[in-house]
Amino acid sequence: MVQLTQNHPHVNLRVKFKKLGSLQYISHLDLVRTMNKIVVRAGLPLWYTEGFNPKPKMTFAAPLSIGTESVAEYMDIKLVDDMPPEEIVRRLNENMTDEMQVLDAYYTDEKLTRLRWLSYRITVNTLGASAELAKKCEELFDRGEVLVAKKAKAGEEPKLFDVKPLVSSISARYDEETGRILIDALLSADPSAFLNPEYVVKALRKEVGILSCPDITRESWSIMRLEGYLEDMSVFR
Amino acid sequence: MSTNPLLEQYSSVLKSVEKPGRYIGGEYNRVIKDKDAVKCRFAFCFPDTYEIGMSNLGVRILYEVLNRDPDVWCERVYAPWMDMKEKMEEYSIPLTAIESGDPLDKFDIVAFTLQYELCYTTVLAMMKLAGFPIWAKDRAEDCPLIIGGGPCAFNCEPVAEFFDLINIGEGEEVLLEICRLYNKMKDDGSYTRSAFLREASHIEGVYVPSLYEVDYNPDGTLKEYKPLYPDTPKTIRKRIVADLDNAPYPEKLIMPYIETVHDRITLEVYRGCIRGCRFCQAGMVYRPIREKSPDVLCKTAKCLYENTGYDEISLISLSISDYSGIRELTDKLLSWTDRAHVSLSLPSLRIDSFSEELMKKVSSVRTGGITFAPEAGTQRLRDVINKNVCEEDLMRAVGIAFRGGKSNVKLYFMNGLPTETDEDVVGISDLASRVVKEYYSMPKSDRPRGVSVTISVACFIPKPFTPFQWERQASLEELSEKQALLRSSITDKKIRYSYHDAKGSIIEAVLARGDRKVGKAIAYAVEQGAMLDAWDEYFDYDRWMDAFEKTGVDPSFYTTRGYGLDEVLPWDIIDCGVTKAYLRRERDRAYEGKTTPSCAEHCNGCGANKLGGKNKWCN
Repeated sequence: MVQLTQNHPHVNLRVKFKKLGSLQYISHLDLVRTMNKIVVRAGLPLWYTEGFNPKPKMTFAAPLSIGTESVAEYMDIKLVDDMPPEEIVRRLNENMTDEMQVLDAYYTDEKLTRLRWLSYRITVNTLGASAELAKKCEELFDRGEVLVAKKAKAGEEPKLFDVKPLVSSISARYDEETGRILIDALLSADPSAFLNPEYVVKALRKEVGILSCPDITRESWSIMRLEGYLEDMSVFR
Repeated sequence: MSTNPLLEQYSSVLKSVEKPGRYIGGEYNRVIKDKDAVKCRFAFCFPDTYEIGMSNLGVRILYEVLNRDPDVWCERVYAPWMDMKEKMEEYSIPLTAIESGDPLDKFDIVAFTLQYELCYTTVLAMMKLAGFPIWAKDRAEDCPLIIGGGPCAFNCEPVAEFFDLINIGEGEEVLLEICRLYNKMKDDGSYTRSAFLREASHIEGVYVPSLYEVDYNPDGTLKEYKPLYPDTPKTIRKRIVADLDNAPYPEKLIMPYIETVHDRITLEVYRGCIRGCRFCQAGMVYRPIREKSPDVLCKTAKCLYENTGYDEISLISLSISDYSGIRELTDKLLSWTDRAHVSLSLPSLRIDSFSEELMKKVSSVRTGGITFAPEAGTQRLRDVINKNVCEEDLMRAVGIAFRGGKSNVKLYFMNGLPTETDEDVVGISDLASRVVKEYYSMPKSDRPRGVSVTISVACFIPKPFTPFQWERQASLEELSEKQALLRSSITDKKIRYSYHDAKGSIIEAVLARGDRKVGKAIAYAVEQGAMLDAWDEYFDYDRWMDAFEKTGVDPSFYTTRGYGLDEVLPWDIIDCGVTKAYLRRERDRAYEGKTTPSCAEHCNGCGANKLGGKNKWCN
């Protein structure tokens, strides 16, 4: 860890946290605003950006989209004093609700951009769920390419793109107890080729026909981000 | 913890609507109680979106007050946006409270705050989403009590028959007294809906509309309010909190995850106003003035900062520079706020008190543009409305702002004020031109940018309990002509002109000055789908006109008709402190073009001192 000196006025703290339940409906931008206030309330020794409008310096890896829960969110904060990580964890958790809690905190100078892969659990509650349907879900990604329409701006024609190269692995099974299809996916988290897990759901909806009931209250799905990995598939830290 | 049905059963719905973060709650600092351990479950409904409602100071205060009582659990309810409302109707999803996720029929008391007249349709739409009959008389014994309050309660007649009771004035003490009476009558077995309402009508500041029979004259004007029982009060006197320093104020704020309209610490500095602008309802109905001490405010501010982490503190009042402790307060706050990277904002600066010192202290002034409210374009008309601001004041204020590096100035005005002539209308653009000229009078080296002056013009609405309460409102045609005249008189390209839709102001006037007969039209509009009328995208003038026609309500009776000085007014049932005689004197002075000094200079005998309250001005 870099020592605090005149040339290095701050240390970099990495925080791994979870974002569950109702918080899946909070956008990334709102999460950043929320986190700004949490770190102030927690009384962390924050380093503020210089200039006209000083703000605590925080950086986030792989923004989560609305509708996805996570137990693997990563954020870096710059501090002017190396407070013990255990103390930081305690202070942050006191200032968050139980749906957002810190899982780990440590000082590091390794970049957040080294994150390459993220694993997800997609749980699908669809009409006609069965082991056979689960198998079809898995087999979709055996194809050479899986085309999905990209979100388009209003008035623009949506473009198709191939999600296949961004999927490292995918497996699906039918859970008899809950009647749901459980899909485990390892997707690219590379900032230049990030795959939102919603596109996997989109592909399954289009190609396999899950979640297509017109009464939207009869079906549902949830997505949980589970863990981050480095290029060599070791756990991201 | 309870589960919100939206999160469990209806997650697909939540994923299909705009900004689902509006509906999920779960915020830090919210209050969760054991519902089986409380006696009174209280749903505080804000008839607008979450983003608007979460910014409301009154809700923040009353949430705190009610939840301090261990027998009461106060939760929040907001209006769904139209996309969600449609889904709720399609899938029979009930309106629920944000804390517990329980539908409103599980509550004892359901309260609506009436912040602006155009929210009335949203109030009724929310009652319908909750499954309640909208008319108080149609509600069964086991239906929650539905109560109202807030600024519009001062003339609540258009919505009176939708409520079981209405809180007139400040709610800190009254709402607790209502809950405690409810708990007591439930405990001792004496509770029935009617017995409770009869008993509650004895609480000062409580109005039970069903306890009055209203008679009308053949011409449609009011004849009288007849109390049904000997123990029913003839008029309802507004309640105030006498000592604000010792009144409960939140030390924590619920922290919204999504961005709200006023996402910051709001510090209420004082209530009431020493000015007497003759169009301003707030300046009259919040009297008498009651200040908080700088010490109490500083302590609260520090505490709120530590419990929220906000980086902005906004000092709230009707006219912040009239606060007698303004220098002490800002100095004390600045002794720690700068270091903590917290900025101050003063949203209601008067032109005549704007100084270089204040500008340097507040960030809202440091960044972006600056706003002043001359309200009228000529001195004559500013005297009529008792704005007590002259052109030199404005030029001095904008001069300071320009020299301080500002180049954007916004000026607020009104069209349709009593006695307004074409000259007054054109005076608005003349005044704006002179502001532009003031900018160019600075040496070129001091003005790196071009100047932009925006004139924002609202339509005058005669409001109850103001000296202009009897005045006629200009018609739609007159207002359109004034807007056209003003537009054509602007030749300077540095001046931008924006104006309020006159149609909205007309509906607002009907709802502001209406009597009980107007209720039918509101109910009809809601049947036709009206909700969120304060939002341009959902305001439908033709639907309102149709509602008036279908229910036999003549809108012009409440707008372009001047009310007779001896007429019984719909709001005569309410005593807001300020007397009719005072309002009448002020009206006469308006027509004579005479101004009236502020309370700080001279007591004008408005009558509000009878309500009590600690201050240094009232006799």
